[in-house]
Amino acid sequence: MSLRHENLRLAYRNLRAARARSFLTMLGIVIGVMAVVLVVCIGQGVKQQISGSLGRYGKGLFVAQPQQVQANGDIFSGLAGANSNLLSYQDVTTIQKTAGVAAAAPLSTASGTMTGDYTVRTPFIIATTPAFSQIIKQHMISGGFFESNDAGKAIVLGMDVAGKLFNDTSAVGQTLTWRGQQFIVSGVYDDFKVPPLSIEANFNNAVFVPYDTASKLMGGSLGAYQILGKVQSGQTVSRTINAVSTALTAAHGGSQDVAVAPAASADSASNRTIHLLTLLISGAAVIALIVGGVGIMDVMLVSVTERMYEIGLRKAIGATNHQIMRQFVVEAFLLSAWGAVIGLLLSCGAVGLLRVYTSMQPVLVWQILVISPLLAIAIGVFFGSMPALKAARKDPIEALRHD
Amino acid sequence: MALIELNDVSKLYGFGDATNVALDEVSLTIEQGECVAVMGPSGSGKSTLMNMIGLLDRPTHGNYHLAGKNVSRLSANRRAKARRDKIGFIFQSFNLLPRLTALENVALPLLYKGVSQNKRTMKARDMLERVGLGDRAYYYPRQLSGGQKQSVAIARALVNEPHIIIADEPTGNLDSNSSRLVMELLSEIHKTGNTIVFVTHNPELTRFATRVVYMQDGAIKHDEQTRLGEVGRYARAVMYAVPETTEDDDLAGVSMMMDVLDKRANATEKPKRAPHTKTKKPAAKRKKAKK
Repeated sequence: MSLRHENLRLAYRNLRAARARSFLTMLGIVIGVMAVVLVVCIGQGVKQQISGSLGRYGKGLFVAQPQQVQANGDIFSGLAGANSNLLSYQDVTTIQKTAGVAAAAPLSTASGTMTGDYTVRTPFIIATTPAFSQIIKQHMISGGFFESNDAGKAIVLGMDVAGKLFNDTSAVGQTLTWRGQQFIVSGVYDDFKVPPLSIEANFNNAVFVPYDTASKLMGGSLGAYQILGKVQSGQTVSRTINAVSTALTAAHGGSQDVAVAPAASADSASNRTIHLLTLLISGAAVIALIVGGVGIMDVMLVSVTERMYEIGLRKAIGATNHQIMRQFVVEAFLLSAWGAVIGLLLSCGAVGLLRVYTSMQPVLVWQILVISPLLAIAIGVFFGSMPALKAARKDPIEALRHD
Repeated sequence: MALIELNDVSKLYGFGDATNVALDEVSLTIEQGECVAVMGPSGSGKSTLMNMIGLLDRPTHGNYHLAGKNVSRLSANRRAKARRDKIGFIFQSFNLLPRLTALENVALPLLYKGVSQNKRTMKARDMLERVGLGDRAYYYPRQLSGGQKQSVAIARALVNEPHIIIADEPTGNLDSNSSRLVMELLSEIHKTGNTIVFVTHNPELTRFATRVVYMQDGAIKHDEQTRLGEVGRYARAVMYAVPETTEDDDLAGVSMMMDVLDKRANATEKPKRAPHTKTKKPAAKRKKAKK
């Protein structure tokens, strides 16, 4: 109907006429939206940084790791508890054979000095199989991951350790010695922006050696502290994980001593902390939004009082309560919608700046980009409609006398 | 069938001891095509009567039939719609919206009726032409003179083709030239068959009326038919009486005393009386100001 269009036009004009006031109100909403968006985006970024979500490096990843039953009955899993009982290579085979699993790779730690152009006394050595490169999708600066036909003599370096060993990040083709055996560098990983597994395991500092060779050199079978797996595309992740869990339990003679979980919740303890933290700060942000809403109510109230005369006149010439109310609600809507859009733009900009100038890695979460402006508009309209109701119910005579 | 029919309409404000009688069982019948001037001192209930006729207010007691339909108990929204469709308002202080152009101001009632933009503009333009402001359509109220503003307000009152036009002191804020312009405009509208009810303090303006109603203390004191172009008889009396009573009006006591004497003289015929005496003083002053 033409009235709606007219209302929008009129509201726009009214808001423009009271520019300073409109701007200040909008500021409340802008700040509210920014607070919500930034908090959630930064929280999500920190969460990814800390928990080392594997999700970044591919879809359908899961992690199997030994679990300890603690005295209080809580199940605790992770690196800390990994030393006591490790997984064996058999477990890798078991997982690989489970229906729906595309690939599985063990992660074992090994020790020993490495010498390339320079010597690193205690490198962070991860022994794994070529399947690792299928599971963790990460760009290589140069070269490629070692393959099964490399005769176990090829290794891959993280970016930082490559610098330490060769003072050069493109070290492909260089040789280095570990435990008396010569290896050729087959590839160097690009920067792992977020540690894929946990914050303790910095893959930029890791040397990836073939599992078989490492086992031989370390003397005997090497236990794995984690087994990474990837679900075949088209398979349900949770169902496959259940199948893997069942298979492992069966292989271990009925004892459920291995925890299998999707990659995102690999480190559930710190995840829970971050989750709570995000909730807390989001709560604060929502309060900021509500304060913005109250600001709108304030301005609308002032606006109603200021324009009492206009309301009286409009009613005198035939505007119904509903029509008056709608005019003010439209104004509140416009204010909060503008505020929300500006807030969104500013927070996107702020996320960009934070990524460039700080070590924080906020992530734009699209859900919050949709929810927060809607919430802001809802709050604005809700608070704006109370003064609108007041305006609509005014007695026209009284309103006209108000000059 | 009378266009406007008020039967024993009262309007009370407040409760208990603080009750204020603004209209005291007023009965008034106005036919289609009349031009009624309502006169009387401030606080005599003129404006309340106007609000009542204009459906801005609801009677506390009594009935009001507008064009044969009882409208005394309509809800606020139904009254708003009735105002929109049947009544055109002209106010003393013009009451144009400052942020709208003359054209938009005139089109406003049509907007609430849900008329399309094109039709609104066309009709509003016609009305502006009719009041002689066709070339000022895109002026804002602040760019118009008082007389022009009131002309815009008249165009706005006419745009819905109302049954009645209600003007509460339409010339109260205008100088004599603009006043004449505005009244001539109203008079022309009257000649095309419209019913007009207007409030005025200026006896001269009763020349434009076919009927003059005098109010005091919320009641109609005198009601006379006049011929167009002729000042009402009673109004003439008021007109010539005014200078005598207001010469030394700064001494508020004089007019008070006159009032009391007047009341004493009328005491027998009017036992009921609203507690309105305090409003007499400014009324007298205003009469002086007019002169």
